[in-house]
Amino acid sequence: MSYRLNPGLSEELAEFGGSTVNKCFNCGNCTAVCALSEGDTVFPRKIIRYLQLGLDRRIEESPEPWMCYYCGTCSETCPREAHPGELMMSLRRWLMTRYDVTGLARRLYTSTRWEVGMLVGVALIVLALFVVPGLLGAPFGFSAVQGDALEHVRLDLFAPKDVIHIGDLILAFGLLVMLGLAAFRMMRFVMRGEHAPQAPLAVWLQQLPQLLIHGVTQKRWLACDRDTRGPWLRHFLLVSGYATMFLLVVAFLPWFQRDGADFHWTALFGYYGTVALMALTVIAIRGRLKKADPYHAFSHVTDWLFLILLFLTALSGILLHVFRLFDLPWPTYVAYVAHLMIAVPMLVVEVPFGKWQHLVLRPVAAYLVAVREAGARARVEAAAPQAVAA
Amino acid sequence: MADIRTRYDALVIGGGITGMQAALDLGEQGYDVLLIEKYASIGGIMVGLNKVFPTLDCSSCICTPRMAESSHHAHIQVQTWAEVRQVEPEGDGFVARIERKARYVDEDTCIGCSKCELVCPVDVPHEFDQCLGARRAIYIPHGNAIPQKAVLDVEHCIFCGKCEKVCPTECIVFDQEPEMVETRVGAVIVATGLDITPMGKKPEYGGGRFLNVMNPLAMERVQSSNGPYGRVLRPSDGKIPRKIAYVQCAGSRDRSIGIPYCSRVCCMYALKQALLLRHYIHDVEVTLYHMDIRAFGKGYEQFYRRTMNEGVRVIKGKVATINEVENNDVVVRVELLDEGGRVEEHRYDLVVLAQGLVPAWHAHGVVACAEADDGFMATPEAKINPSYTTLVGVYVAGVAAGPKDIPDAIVEAGEAAMAAAGRLQRIGWHRAPAAAAAAH
Repeated sequence: MSYRLNPGLSEELAEFGGSTVNKCFNCGNCTAVCALSEGDTVFPRKIIRYLQLGLDRRIEESPEPWMCYYCGTCSETCPREAHPGELMMSLRRWLMTRYDVTGLARRLYTSTRWEVGMLVGVALIVLALFVVPGLLGAPFGFSAVQGDALEHVRLDLFAPKDVIHIGDLILAFGLLVMLGLAAFRMMRFVMRGEHAPQAPLAVWLQQLPQLLIHGVTQKRWLACDRDTRGPWLRHFLLVSGYATMFLLVVAFLPWFQRDGADFHWTALFGYYGTVALMALTVIAIRGRLKKADPYHAFSHVTDWLFLILLFLTALSGILLHVFRLFDLPWPTYVAYVAHLMIAVPMLVVEVPFGKWQHLVLRPVAAYLVAVREAGARARVEAAAPQAVAA
Repeated sequence: MADIRTRYDALVIGGGITGMQAALDLGEQGYDVLLIEKYASIGGIMVGLNKVFPTLDCSSCICTPRMAESSHHAHIQVQTWAEVRQVEPEGDGFVARIERKARYVDEDTCIGCSKCELVCPVDVPHEFDQCLGARRAIYIPHGNAIPQKAVLDVEHCIFCGKCEKVCPTECIVFDQEPEMVETRVGAVIVATGLDITPMGKKPEYGGGRFLNVMNPLAMERVQSSNGPYGRVLRPSDGKIPRKIAYVQCAGSRDRSIGIPYCSRVCCMYALKQALLLRHYIHDVEVTLYHMDIRAFGKGYEQFYRRTMNEGVRVIKGKVATINEVENNDVVVRVELLDEGGRVEEHRYDLVVLAQGLVPAWHAHGVVACAEADDGFMATPEAKINPSYTTLVGVYVAGVAAGPKDIPDAIVEAGEAAMAAAGRLQRIGWHRAPAAAAAAH
């Protein structure tokens, strides 16, 4: 099979944070020191070699970058200080731009101006949604703040649940489509490759649970040689908090959004989600500032924005909640809009085009690798049934 | 042992092969040399080696004549068990302050009869055998040691007095004190040699915890006919190792432990040891894992080919982790770069780490010579005057200036000696008659 080389690949990767490609002299320490690098799934060195050679198609065809959880052991022991862990990280960013069909992901990762511009743009659209209907004479958003809504918190007038809920569902559907598209593109790339999984349909079906298991638990992370329980748990709690809030807003909004000081049990989940988000974003921000762990040594602009947006989402949510409980109409309305002006851009920009794609890409990669391994095992068994029986 | 005089032509710091060669090259020209060695015998690393590459000469057989020559030379005074504490410029030359450590044995009367070490009840791991064998608390450093004089290890001595009773010349002096002596010299040659790279910063390799993971000097001793076992056995259970691995660049070319340079000799000594293992042990399997093989010297590439022809397996891939399993066997994990990048674990009876070289001595606080970034002595004119340090009149040779093999160290010793001789002529130090007369 012939490949067209991309001689500028290592310079290209530098735009995504990985600038040490050419320090690597291919000793193989990183691959051998990595507990996750096994069987036919070997990285990082092989992938770094592809980078050095400009074999971008080969990299697209490799699920390996998604099998790395960046524990940092390879970076710490690299004799050349080529930071293989960080190269894998920047390669994941690069790959996301390859999976993305719109070209926006590339803009986002290579230009802070684009990233901030898109976030601000979506925020302004959200703001407009609360202003424009009033100008057109519809009683929604700021135009609805009159009469009783001035005396008491009346979110049912300011932002009626059914309207917001429809918006949420549209948003969720859009995100799902975009993530599905990214996952589909990844599968297509991998399937065209030399090491594509080869297995009968039964194996593909048999391995399907892997998709869910890896999506929910990220359990491969725990197989790292060093103790990764801390980072794993922090990540798990952060995701659980985030998922809780997302579900509350998208699926349970009719119960979750309340007026006045009345209480509904969904609030308990809201408290959990908020505490998890607040605590873990603060811990992560501190980690990135202190750089004590190898996986926090380098921070891309997008890493910072992601944490800051998450933190601000939680913070504005808390303010919204407190203002409502104290029945302060204007502060509540402003906090409501502000909360959406942070959360919606974060979802619209970061999930389909940014870092958050990994929530589908990792499980899909793990699934593909599981199928590849199961397929290889099946072939070995078919070739030598008696040996297996013995 | 003669007292240290108040004036010499040159001071050589370090009595290894480099220092001895420099001292001999000066002594042969008629310059008076003071040779200071911190250990109880001259000979340095080389006298403990088994054979040397690529000729496979017996190392001690070609080193001991130099030792004898140095110690008997009319113009060389050897002082072992002593350390140079300070060298300061004074007039045209230098004033050197030297500490003669307490040997607790009178060097002039000790006849090296060994009676003391035969009665001493204390066994101590022997540094000369890389702690694989034992010595006594009072001991003659080793069979080839020069001088053949006992030294008492006061850290481990239990003061039972048996040695004192048995000594035929009553040379044991329990109340000996270290002594500072001062002398003036016209030139100084630093030939302080090497240590092997410490493995403390490399926990992936066990950090010295595993019995059957050896350092290369230990393997030299194990292979030596006068070594601790007298044959090749593995330390944990004394069995003959049948599967042995060499891990190259264990502490060289590794920025993660702060040693970015190539130590130059590890490929060759490992190939040499591996080849000899094939000679010493029937049916032994020796595998050498490397990043690249650097066989740069005269006859070295040919030696590398010969090693492979004689059955040593040479595999590209840096060993990432070393672990101990049951039976004190050792498992190495490595990516096989020439086999599709497969990661494999292999089990060995014995693993030798091809540790690199670091300077054994630092000038800081002793003499005002700068160090280079790599920790070796700075040689600002490395190309054209490789033995010059940053201080005029102080020269450096051998591994003190940077990693090198024995032939290169000997060449550099000659160069340093010539540079020192030129200086002694230039400043008229050697000929200063009044001072010389006063000294004698």
